[in-house]
Amino acid sequence: MTRQEIEQEVKNVFHREFEIENPDMDADLRETYEFDSIDAIELLLAIENFLSTEISQEEKKQAINIRTINQICDYIEKIAKQRNLFSPA
Amino acid sequence: MMERRVVITGMSAITPIGHGKDQIVKSLQNGVSGIKPLRAEEFLSPYIHSKVYGTVDYPVEYDFKRNHRKTMGPVAYYACQVAKEVLEQSGLTEEFITSGRLGVAFGSIHGSPTVQRNIYRIFFGATEKSAVREIGAVDYLKSMVHTTAVNITKMFGITGRVIASGTACTTSSQSIGYGYESVKFGMQDAMLCGGADEYDTTTVAVFDNLLACSTAFNAEPHRTPRPFDKLRDGLVVGEGAGAVMLEEYEYARKRGANILGEVIGFACNNNGGDMILPNLTGITSTLKLGVENAGINPQDIDLISAHATATKMGDIIEAQAISAVFGNNPYVVGLKSYTGHTMAACGAIETIMCLAMMQEGFIAPTLNLEEIDERCAMLKHVQKILQQPVKTAAIQNFAFGGVNTILMIRKFS
Repeated sequence: MTRQEIEQEVKNVFHREFEIENPDMDADLRETYEFDSIDAIELLLAIENFLSTEISQEEKKQAINIRTINQICDYIEKIAKQRNLFSPA
Repeated sequence: MMERRVVITGMSAITPIGHGKDQIVKSLQNGVSGIKPLRAEEFLSPYIHSKVYGTVDYPVEYDFKRNHRKTMGPVAYYACQVAKEVLEQSGLTEEFITSGRLGVAFGSIHGSPTVQRNIYRIFFGATEKSAVREIGAVDYLKSMVHTTAVNITKMFGITGRVIASGTACTTSSQSIGYGYESVKFGMQDAMLCGGADEYDTTTVAVFDNLLACSTAFNAEPHRTPRPFDKLRDGLVVGEGAGAVMLEEYEYARKRGANILGEVIGFACNNNGGDMILPNLTGITSTLKLGVENAGINPQDIDLISAHATATKMGDIIEAQAISAVFGNNPYVVGLKSYTGHTMAACGAIETIMCLAMMQEGFIAPTLNLEEIDERCAMLKHVQKILQQPVKTAAIQNFAFGGVNTILMIRKFS
C-alpha cells in the first residue's frame, strides 16, 4: 500500500466511524473533533482490520501521543513498513 | 435534620401507549392498549409461550451527536431522550445543570440486553483470540447496569451525585424515592430521576419459565394483562422510559418554575425472605411506612396506582395489603393494563400517569377488568373512566428480591 492509500482509508474510517468528513489533517483531534480515548481504541481496531494484522500492546501504547490525522498516517505507515506491507509509491 | 419540600418540575415518558403527556392522556382516556404481538426473532421468541409484549411501535426521533451515541445502547437512547425532554421542560439553566447541584437517579434492570446478547454471540461464535478483539471497547459502557444514568450525565454535563438503582421492577420507583430523599435532606437541590428498559425477549423468557407470563390471550393481545380480573393469567413484559425532575420547592418557586406536583413521601423495605413470592407482611409494612413517611392519614389517599402485574397471587396479596392499610376508601387502578410491565421504567411511568390524571382531573379505569376476582373485590376498583379530582396518590411497586416501594405524590397547590 502507498501513503496515498493510507490517507484515503483513514479519511474513510473517520467518515464511517466518526462521522467526520474532509478532516483537517493537522488539526488537534481532541480539540477540533472531540476525539477521545474510546475513539482511539475504535481507531486502532479499524487500523488492524485495514492492515489485516494484529497490532501488539506495545505498538498500541506508542499511539498514545498521536494528536493529528497526519500522525495517524505516519503511525500506520510505520507499522506497514515493519510488516512489509508498504510500497513508497 | 433539614427537611425541605420537593416538587416536580418536569416529566416525560416513552411508553407503549404514547410518547409524552398528551399522547398518554389520550390513550388513558380512550382505553387504548399498548400490548402487541411479540416480535419474531430467531433466538428466543419461537420457544416462549407468551406471544404478547408492551411495545413502543412508533418511531422516536433522536437528535444525539455521535460523541454521545457511541456509548449508548437502545436503553440509553430511551433514557437520554426522556431526560432531555424533562430538562427542557424544567427550564433549569445550563449553569445550574452543570453546577453540581443537580444529580441523577436513573436505572435499568440490566444495562442493554441487546448489547449483552451481541457480546455473547461473539464469545460463543468465535475463536478465543478473535473474540477478545471483536468485543467493542464501548460494549461495557453500553451494557453496564448504570449505563442510563451516566449517559445522561455525560450528555448534559451533570456533575452531581449518581444513584443507579438496578432493582428490577422497583428500579425507577427507587430512583424517584432516593432522588426525593437527596433533595429533601439537602444533599442536592434537584434530581433527575427515572428508569428505562429496551425491547428484550430475555426478560419474557425469564417470566415465562416461572409460569408468570400471560399466555391465554396471544391471539388478542389487547385483552391482557388483566389486573384483578378473574381471567387474569399473568404479566406482559413491556418496554419504555420515564423521567421526572425533582426540585427543592423554594428554588423552584423563586425561579418561577411550572410546578407539576409534589412528592410527599417514600418508603422502601424488603420482605427479608423469598426472592419471588409476594409477601403480605412485607408489603403491608411498606404501605404503612409510606403513610408514616408522608405524615398523612391513610384516608387522605384518593388514588392508588397498584403494582398489579396481573399474576394470580401477586394481585391478591396486594389487594389484601391495600385493604388492610387503606380500607376501600381510595380508588385503585392497575396501570400496567395499558402498557404491560415496563420493568425498570414502570415506577416512573406510573408516577407520570398519576400526575397527568391529577392535572387533568380524571381517573383511568383498569383495562380488561371485566369481572373482578372475588379475592380482590374488597377494593374500590375503577372499571370506567371517572371525572374525578385527585389530590393525593400512592404509587406502589414490588420487585424480585423482595424489594417493595411506595411513593406518595400530591397535587401542587
